[in-house]
Amino acid sequence: MARFFPDPFDPEACLGTGCGCPRHGSARLACDSPASLEDAAAEAVDTAVLRAILGTDAARRRLLKTVGAGTLMAALTEIFPLATAREAFAQAPGTLEKKEVKIGFIPITCATPIIMAAPMGFYARQGLNAEVVKTAGWAIIRDKALNGEYDAAHMLAPMPLAISMGVGSNPVPWTVPAIENINGQAITLAMKHKDRRDPREWKGMKFAVPFDYSMHNYLLRYYLAEHGLDPDRDVQIRAVPPPEMVANLRAENLDGFLGPDPMNQRAVYDGVGFIHVLSRDIWDGHPCCAFGIGREMAQAAPNTYHAMLRAIVEATTYAAKPENRKEIAAAIAPANYLNQPQTVIEQVLTGTFADGLGKVQRVPERVNFAPMPWDSFATWILTQMKRWGQVKGDVDYAAISRQVFRMTDAERALREAGFAEPATTGRTIVVMGKPFDPAQPEDYLASFPIRRN
Amino acid sequence: MNTRPHIALQGLRKLYPGNARPTFDEIWFDIMPGEFVCLIGHSGCGKTTLLNILAGLEQASGGTVIVEGRELTGPGLDRAVIFQSHALLPWMSVRENIAFAIRSRWPGWSRAEVEAHGQRYIDLVHLSGAERKKPAQLSGGMKQRVGIARALAIQPRILLMDEPFSALDALTRGALQDEVVAISATTRQTTFMITHDVDEAMLLADRIVLMTSGPDARVAEIVENGLPRGRTRQELHRLPGYAALRNHLLDFLVERPAGRPADPRHPPLRRIGAAEHPATANPR
Amino acid sequence: MPRPGQRARAIALSLLLLALFLGAWQAAVSGGGGTAAQMDPDYAALMGTAATQGASAMPGPAQVATRLAELLADPFYDRGANDKGIGIQLGWSLLRVMLGYALAVLVAVPLGFLIGTSALLRQALDPFIQILKPISPLAWMPLALYTIKDSGRSAIFVIFICSVWPLLLNTAFGVASVRREWLNVARTLEVSRWRMAWRVILPAAAPTILTGMRISIGIAWLVIVAAEMLVGGTGIGYFVWNQWNNLSITDVIIAILLIGLVGMALDQLLAWAGRRVGYSE
Repeated sequence: MARFFPDPFDPEACLGTGCGCPRHGSARLACDSPASLEDAAAEAVDTAVLRAILGTDAARRRLLKTVGAGTLMAALTEIFPLATAREAFAQAPGTLEKKEVKIGFIPITCATPIIMAAPMGFYARQGLNAEVVKTAGWAIIRDKALNGEYDAAHMLAPMPLAISMGVGSNPVPWTVPAIENINGQAITLAMKHKDRRDPREWKGMKFAVPFDYSMHNYLLRYYLAEHGLDPDRDVQIRAVPPPEMVANLRAENLDGFLGPDPMNQRAVYDGVGFIHVLSRDIWDGHPCCAFGIGREMAQAAPNTYHAMLRAIVEATTYAAKPENRKEIAAAIAPANYLNQPQTVIEQVLTGTFADGLGKVQRVPERVNFAPMPWDSFATWILTQMKRWGQVKGDVDYAAISRQVFRMTDAERALREAGFAEPATTGRTIVVMGKPFDPAQPEDYLASFPIRRN
Repeated sequence: MNTRPHIALQGLRKLYPGNARPTFDEIWFDIMPGEFVCLIGHSGCGKTTLLNILAGLEQASGGTVIVEGRELTGPGLDRAVIFQSHALLPWMSVRENIAFAIRSRWPGWSRAEVEAHGQRYIDLVHLSGAERKKPAQLSGGMKQRVGIARALAIQPRILLMDEPFSALDALTRGALQDEVVAISATTRQTTFMITHDVDEAMLLADRIVLMTSGPDARVAEIVENGLPRGRTRQELHRLPGYAALRNHLLDFLVERPAGRPADPRHPPLRRIGAAEHPATANPR
Repeated sequence: MPRPGQRARAIALSLLLLALFLGAWQAAVSGGGGTAAQMDPDYAALMGTAATQGASAMPGPAQVATRLAELLADPFYDRGANDKGIGIQLGWSLLRVMLGYALAVLVAVPLGFLIGTSALLRQALDPFIQILKPISPLAWMPLALYTIKDSGRSAIFVIFICSVWPLLLNTAFGVASVRREWLNVARTLEVSRWRMAWRVILPAAAPTILTGMRISIGIAWLVIVAAEMLVGGTGIGYFVWNQWNNLSITDVIIAILLIGLVGMALDQLLAWAGRRVGYSE
């Protein structure tokens, strides 16, 4: 099992800080981690007790080498109530370490649970006084989260993976304890392309995605590549913050974008573009945005962390119910949050929308909300990061996926919030008709004719 | 008569970097206590440089200046300079310009003391009523009066004047010359003044130092003003010996001699303008 | 010399130009109203007026005036972290500008003094200043965020770093070009270095320094809008960005107007200060 702390019963490990973890060099992670914070707490107790009893690392190593870990463990439990200590530590009173929290968001509907939890009282119910702060772009939200200006932040699902691996920033262990939304994106094209619906005719066009490390980028690339276009050579793809997408489409700086809502619907509303394809038609049930939090924050304030997570999980589950969508639209449309006409938000959330080509479409699954951060999602993202050359060399798919996408924490939050254990739906991944086996990521990668690795 | 000179210039030389020949060299002469000495020379012979060296504002390349028996090292409050361009600080009023000098001389004085002292000198140069004016509001002559008041207010032992009236019109210049005559008659300050106005030199100076043209300028000769003391501008040209002295000086300026005196330490001394009696030696 | 009555005629001409501009603006945006597309009413209900009636996305002057009155009627409302009144936003921007600018003055004036009095320092530092001077505020921002790790302070730093150069150069230039004779006067009076700096060099260089300060406040005000658009949260720059997201050109135009007015006020304030310390020779 992966661990937060070096295993105190491992003779090779050192318990001091700044341990090199040579065994996990290929994973390129900032450090190794346990599956949940409860495990982490137990480990911390073990380590502390062992240090207290045995003193220096050198003494402990000598002893372990001579008697073996099992014997030592047994001997220790004789003289010290290790199990009791672990339990006492885990059941420490659930007082919040920090009541005032700042959570950054980008004004898009993907952030719905994060945003609505403020005006609809989900944070307050957990005893949190949360301020949700609108932020100008993904790089800024990343930097502010890394700075500690935000206690947690709305992030694109691939961002915590990139941050943890040090791709595009310094490596800092980051986690996804909850996914915000599934589906809810679309390819929007400028009105002048309404008769060029076949992607094979899109050579030379300029597209925008919100960020390099985004599902949007990977889905657009996947979509184009499946239609025989090399996304790096045949078209231009650049990162444009979501709020600026429609303005750029109007200014004809862009031919289209695979963007988050409400930008797609806003382009339609203003007569600037039309919805070419919803992202659910590329991969039904794909994750998009995530609730991201630094591991340091999660460890330093575990009760606050779990309280935030419970609020998010409850809000997400509430948002998943179609009957609540209109109420949510009214709550998040004002200037303080999304700053969009309410009808635009409503069309996105209810799935009854104008498509920009004169038809009213009814697709209730246009966007949905589901909190489980399945590790298979992370593995798929990692394959695409490697496919397009964002990461190079060997990737320890399973380890990184489990360490960043924290299913056990989400499960615990769901349990505590009184929801049923999640079904396994969503685990199976089928993108444009092609199934993905998370156990065989390298084979999957090799099956694509267009790739950079 | 006190035989120790107030100021002694000993072999002064100024060579500006990049020049092949010095601007002036081997300048030797003395200024006695209470004496008024004028320096006349063509432009380019380094007159202003010489004055600046006496003021301590510039360094000589060679030679020394001895003031009251001590070698000069820099500027000091014992010497006051009246600049050709008056050099008033334009953001200060007349009173503030003078007070700035007074406070430098007597830092411990109270505001009232400074005011009263300043007012005396403002009155002395007949500027009463203009105390609050800024230099830009004054005429050229008034500005130079402020300059004179500022210099006198610190009660210096030596007054250094660099063509103080050259930028003024003839009438104003005349009026100011009269005032300098009157003031120096009462203060008997040692004064060194640069001028190119022959009449000005004849009116004010006890002795007139004539310099050859630069580069490599020297003291050509020193003329003792033999015209009787108590001269006034109106009476000057009627004094016996006036024509002889004036002609001598003008001839010197017109002829532009560039030669070198045989002995730079003892330039020829002439007494012109009075009942002729043999010239005494250069009193060094 | 302006002839009598010229001022009145200039004002009249200004008003005429304004009226012409407003008229042309109104005329430009009121066209194209009749090109409404034939639409299914259900569909049309989901669309904005730009799409249904072919209305121009540009608001007319009347719309802008109405909205301006609306914003100014309640300039200090607070509806949450991301939605505050225009007065609060302007206040935040001014506060940031003042902090960054004050910092720039505190650093640039003494440093410029030093550089101005030493030809050696001037020559040694000149290449650095020339390279750093033309860098855009937006280029500094990522570096500031990364090193300072606080977006509020980063914005102030960016103001500082962009407004410090004209101040530094002007102070150095002003100090270096203090008339030699003024320094000579002070030297003959054996004035101490400190008194020389305060009583002679500073007042002599003050008009040049004030010119630098005037250029700098203009830059600082330009920069704050860009910085706040990037960093967000509060300020008039954030207001512009937030309304741009909503494609609300009306609010953007109002913000532009207010930015211009505040910029002019700041400029006039320093012009007035410049006249106070000015002198004529």
